[in-house]
Amino acid sequence: MPRKLSLISQTLVALILCLAIYPLSARSSTSQENNSNQDQNQTADAGNPAPGDQTKVPVSNIKSAPTDEGQLATVNNAKIPSYAKVYVAPIPGGFENYIIAGLRNKKVPLTVVIDRTKADYEISGVSDSEKAGWAKMLFIGSQNSNEQASIKISNLKTGAVIFGYSVHKTNSARGKQSAGEACAKHIKQIVLE
Amino acid sequence: MSFKRNVVSILALLVVAAVSTALAGEKNTPPTQKIPKGAKVFVAPIEGGYDTYLKDAIAKKKVPVEIVASHDQADYEITGTAESQKASTAKKVILGNWHSREEASITVSNIKSAEVVWAYSVHEEASTHGKKSSAEACAKHLKEAIENQ
Repeated sequence: MPRKLSLISQTLVALILCLAIYPLSARSSTSQENNSNQDQNQTADAGNPAPGDQTKVPVSNIKSAPTDEGQLATVNNAKIPSYAKVYVAPIPGGFENYIIAGLRNKKVPLTVVIDRTKADYEISGVSDSEKAGWAKMLFIGSQNSNEQASIKISNLKTGAVIFGYSVHKTNSARGKQSAGEACAKHIKQIVLE
Repeated sequence: MSFKRNVVSILALLVVAAVSTALAGEKNTPPTQKIPKGAKVFVAPIEGGYDTYLKDAIAKKKVPVEIVASHDQADYEITGTAESQKASTAKKVILGNWHSREEASITVSNIKSAEVVWAYSVHEEASTHGKKSSAEACAKHLKEAIENQ
């Protein structure tokens, strides 16, 4: 009988200790997630996060890598299957056309569709173009424009953003065409061939 | 016992076959990117009336397509964007260049399948004939794409 009592008491103590330790360990793991730039264990298609976690998930999943032209970010090394159907959303200034032309020029194995409902992925973004002013022409002798654009690719089924890229070209020899091709070149890196 | 084993093995085979079929179905196939000669093409309005230049260039370069006035009659649609910037005073005085800067990008899509079958972008820093030059560049490359497939 006393042995039984001692066993029960030991179990109770263990339970209480577990309950006391668990919140501490959970808190420390959360702070580790916030500090690290990437979390390899989480899947790219984590689904829709809870409203409270919306700010946490992208920060922990996005991995940035320096490139020669801009900033590239992929989520857990996410890949797009070849010939996946991609919809390029309208971008102010008609930059979506330059992206599509860039995808073709760079031979990116994707199928671009004009109907969003038929697509698996969506490319959206912003672009900005700054023409050369008189000072640039006078002092530098350059009439090339400054181009900047930023795009992201999202999985339309899960809603997860799987890729992001931004490009900035100070003296773009071919204007928007160069920026569109730079975007396409980097999209190609995440397409499975 | 042997009957049970047979049933289990058949079921296992069926499961394997079903999974492999499903995986094969998921794989994307490359699109048939072809614009047939004589295809009916609708040129959608483009800002700055660029669609007019494009239609003219398609006719001038003898691109083997038929331009239709209505979207309903067409098999393919050309959409795009164009931007033209006239030479500024600075460009004229400092660089001695009177020519405009032209940028355009067009996309040809199959209306039925909603797939983009061809796309092209052009940039001319000092275009001698303005929009006409860039439209003719688009038409020339479209012709090449149709004839070389």
